Amino acid sequence: MSASVSASASSNLPSDARSGPLRRLSQLRAYTQQHFSSSQPSSSSSSSGTRLSRRHTLSSRVSWFSPASTGPDSSQQLSPVGSRTSGPCPESEPPSTLARYSSVLFPSYRGLEIDLRPSRQSETPSSSPSNETGGSETQGTMARPRGSSQALNARPDLEGTSPSASAHLHAGALDSSDPVMSENPSTSSPRPKQKATIRFFPHQDTHQSSRPSLPFIPVSRTLPSDSCIIRVGRYSERDGLPVANPTDPSDAPVGFKSKVVSRKHCEFLYLNGQWHIKDVGSSSGTFLNHMRLSQPNMPSRLYTVKDGDIVQLGIDFRGGEEMIFRCVRIRIECNRSWQQQPNEFNKNTESLIKNLGKGDTADYSGCRECSICLGSVLRPYQCLFMAACAHVWHYKCVSRLIHTPDYPMFQCPNCRAYTDLSAEVDDTNDFDEEEVNKATPEDKRDSSEASRSGTTSPQLEAEPVPTGDEPRQGSLPVEAGLAANIESMRLHDMDASEAARRPPPPTSNNDAVPPSAGNDIPGWQSLTQSPNALPTRQSLLRADTPVRSESSEDNPLTPLNDSGPLALDGRAAMP
Amino acid sequence: MGSQKRIAKELAELVESPPEGILVKLADESNLYTWHIYMDGPEGSPYYNGKFLLNLTLPTEYPFKPPTVSFKTKIYHPNVTNDDKGSMCLGMLRADEWKPSSRIQAVLQFARQLLAEPMPDDAVEGRIAEQYKNDRKRYEEVAKEWTRKYAVDS
Repeated sequence: MSASVSASASSNLPSDARSGPLRRLSQLRAYTQQHFSSSQPSSSSSSSGTRLSRRHTLSSRVSWFSPASTGPDSSQQLSPVGSRTSGPCPESEPPSTLARYSSVLFPSYRGLEIDLRPSRQSETPSSSPSNETGGSETQGTMARPRGSSQALNARPDLEGTSPSASAHLHAGALDSSDPVMSENPSTSSPRPKQKATIRFFPHQDTHQSSRPSLPFIPVSRTLPSDSCIIRVGRYSERDGLPVANPTDPSDAPVGFKSKVVSRKHCEFLYLNGQWHIKDVGSSSGTFLNHMRLSQPNMPSRLYTVKDGDIVQLGIDFRGGEEMIFRCVRIRIECNRSWQQQPNEFNKNTESLIKNLGKGDTADYSGCRECSICLGSVLRPYQCLFMAACAHVWHYKCVSRLIHTPDYPMFQCPNCRAYTDLSAEVDDTNDFDEEEVNKATPEDKRDSSEASRSGTTSPQLEAEPVPTGDEPRQGSLPVEAGLAANIESMRLHDMDASEAARRPPPPTSNNDAVPPSAGNDIPGWQSLTQSPNALPTRQSLLRADTPVRSESSEDNPLTPLNDSGPLALDGRAAMP
Repeated sequence: MGSQKRIAKELAELVESPPEGILVKLADESNLYTWHIYMDGPEGSPYYNGKFLLNLTLPTEYPFKPPTVSFKTKIYHPNVTNDDKGSMCLGMLRADEWKPSSRIQAVLQFARQLLAEPMPDDAVEGRIAEQYKNDRKRYEEVAKEWTRKYAVDS
């Protein structure tokens, strides 16, 4: 049952919209935390509380090696590593990230649970004798109904708590499945992202030879609740400083510094899944697509507004040339949530990105052309630009649309979605529009992340590794999965010699798996199934090399040209 | 002149597999930016059997700026100006509607669709639009007559 749940849930993983390996990394991080906390009852019953809390402070959120911690010495060796790995992830990362990532990953965790549980059961007697074998299992099954019952009140709590706090909660409470389970409902219940969002962009009427309308910073509002109203009027000092783009849901009034806008000009309401506009008795009128909504000083009825509609507030006052006498023309962007959630298109893009480095065996089903030059975006070593809407062009082609007078506002030439290219890189929102900005910093962080994980591996290698050492083995897939995600590598190729000896894991081939974050899982499964920890480690080490050397120009392992621009695939580097 | 590659590509596609009832040629082999379009009047419309010549001009900024389409053959149509320019009002060709991802093939197909189904609400010839709305029969008569007069090879 849980397998089917995970399968269905993984199909709408928001992470699909994301392609950055770092993203996957953070998901994994979240995953491990869940994994950790749900298996915690077993470990906490066997181990001392002090060690637990220490682990939490060191690697409060990144408990990669949680299963390994059942053995005291391994935990001591490993937790510093864990904390170091957590380095790139800033502590200031807002809490909702964790909640969302966790919710994202949770279904996969459930799927995993099936595979992990047997091994955990078998490991418990050896590593922690005092542990009841069935403990974790019962925990899992018991917690599930609770999770669903908490569905309603879970999220508000979560968004309020900081990750470290929740981690401490894990540590403190024996009943640690609660936070985990409370993260679960967000997969089933509507996401916060589906709250009504509307954005206002300045619009210049190219038709009329009229003067330019009032320039303003694009405004974005996400309603805290559907009953909220966004009031629009003249900017007033009394309202305090206008917050153009609050990250949190807000119904703060929107003010424009124009004399032709009445103090109370119009309102935007969200009714029955549809945005509406209403003139609230403005003197100079509200125009929806050039149609005046009401007589002067008369409130109008509600009019529905659609994406792309133009709303004009007031009429240019001819008596003055100053900006303050200009009318306001707003281009509405709303009902775009479908675009920000995983959909066929951006999943395809993700698979495109994933497969860029895979050479001829790649699954190019998601590939498409640059809509500007009509050439394929899969040309090797071509600089690409991907907008938040998951449309991709050659940078060369799209650059003149980026570097416009409107910069940093970027309008997608395919779907007309606006993106603020200067927006802060925001890890909190799983499907927000900063993807574009992300590319560069993420890459950098990737490689640093990778080298970090690379430093962990020798340490692992140095340890004596009896193949029967269950706890450590449990930890390895985490690491391996992490690396696999970072480098988009196919460890299984490296594993080939090992795999030849035993029946190949059914899902070991990445290509066979639909392009989703579910990709992480097959790797996991196969790795968990195979008790061979060492080859994985070796492959990890090797896998690590190309990425690290990628930053240097004289890379001896520079992948072949024909394998694509992002050739991080191990096979590209190796004969 | 980065546009040339794209234009050449689109032209090649259009020449290789032309859309129904549309034939594309360069007006001048050395100039990629002016095209001659031969469009057959769609079946069921008063323009049926007619062969219309259109000029398609691409700006150097193409695809960032829209192409312009004009009828060289006189046509009685609410959306085509009834002068010697024969300029055509296509929604997607307006500067603020145009997207670089739009293709000439789509433009041409849209133009041909407009022959089959005029859009009187978007008309440039108000009188014809009025007639199209209120006196369809008369409109079709005139359109047929014009087609016979100007668009059919004798």
